[in-house]
Amino acid sequence: MAKAYTGRDGRLLIDGVEQIKVSNWSLTGTLEVLDTTTLGDNQRTYAPGVQEFNGSATLLYYNDDGRNDAATALKNVLRVDGVDATDTVDLRLRLIEGATNHDVRLTAYITSVTFGANVGEVSSANISFQGTGALTEVTI
Amino acid sequence: MAFPSLRPTNREFNPGDWPTKTFNSQSGAETRILYGTQRTNAKLQLGYANVSDTNAQLFLDDYNANFGTLRKFTIPAETRTGWEGTGASIDAPPGTQWRYESPPSVQSISPGRSSVTVNLIAVI
Repeated sequence: MAKAYTGRDGRLLIDGVEQIKVSNWSLTGTLEVLDTTTLGDNQRTYAPGVQEFNGSATLLYYNDDGRNDAATALKNVLRVDGVDATDTVDLRLRLIEGATNHDVRLTAYITSVTFGANVGEVSSANISFQGTGALTEVTI
Repeated sequence: MAFPSLRPTNREFNPGDWPTKTFNSQSGAETRILYGTQRTNAKLQLGYANVSDTNAQLFLDDYNANFGTLRKFTIPAETRTGWEGTGASIDAPPGTQWRYESPPSVQSISPGRSSVTVNLIAVI
């Protein structure tokens, strides 16, 4: 059945835990292309190179259990002991359709976080992530 | 083994020169003496960007088959692709052939893709 997805259908899971108070997420997938145009060609030709996945999300800073709120993402960057190679997160960017989940799943590093407090506004945390390796699941 | 019949992505040709020697007198007059009848030392640089590794290997195989910079050879018309002048004008001068001036340079770009640069020099 045809369905137009909206923000109501969006979910964000970090390490398998659905995050609450997510106001948006976005994912960008890019493919580097290699120019294979030779002398004598009138149009450029390309060969596929490597792929890259990155994106961002905004979470309202709602204090809950520390695993399902913005603190989960923030703690991947805001830490006293630095970031190790193993400090990746398992991200699932999900659109739901009834009981069916349409996921893009990737392993990523949280590369930046921005959060603050403003008078008259709910505090929110903006995070950016950089995928590492191939997507681990695509069911869109 | 022959030089690979692939179309380059870039090409730079230097026509070389006739062997001459120049003498300058105290008066400032210059005298030039021609020591040969053929233009020599023409140079050709061919670039093959983002070719398959299989094609890149053709250059290494050809380099081996020619004992590196030892033997001279002719190159196929594909190397002059895109040149709308007379083909001979950017080939080895009459009476000369190409040899490798230096080993081909193979730069790995991504899995299965490499870029190759070949430097040739025309010799009698």
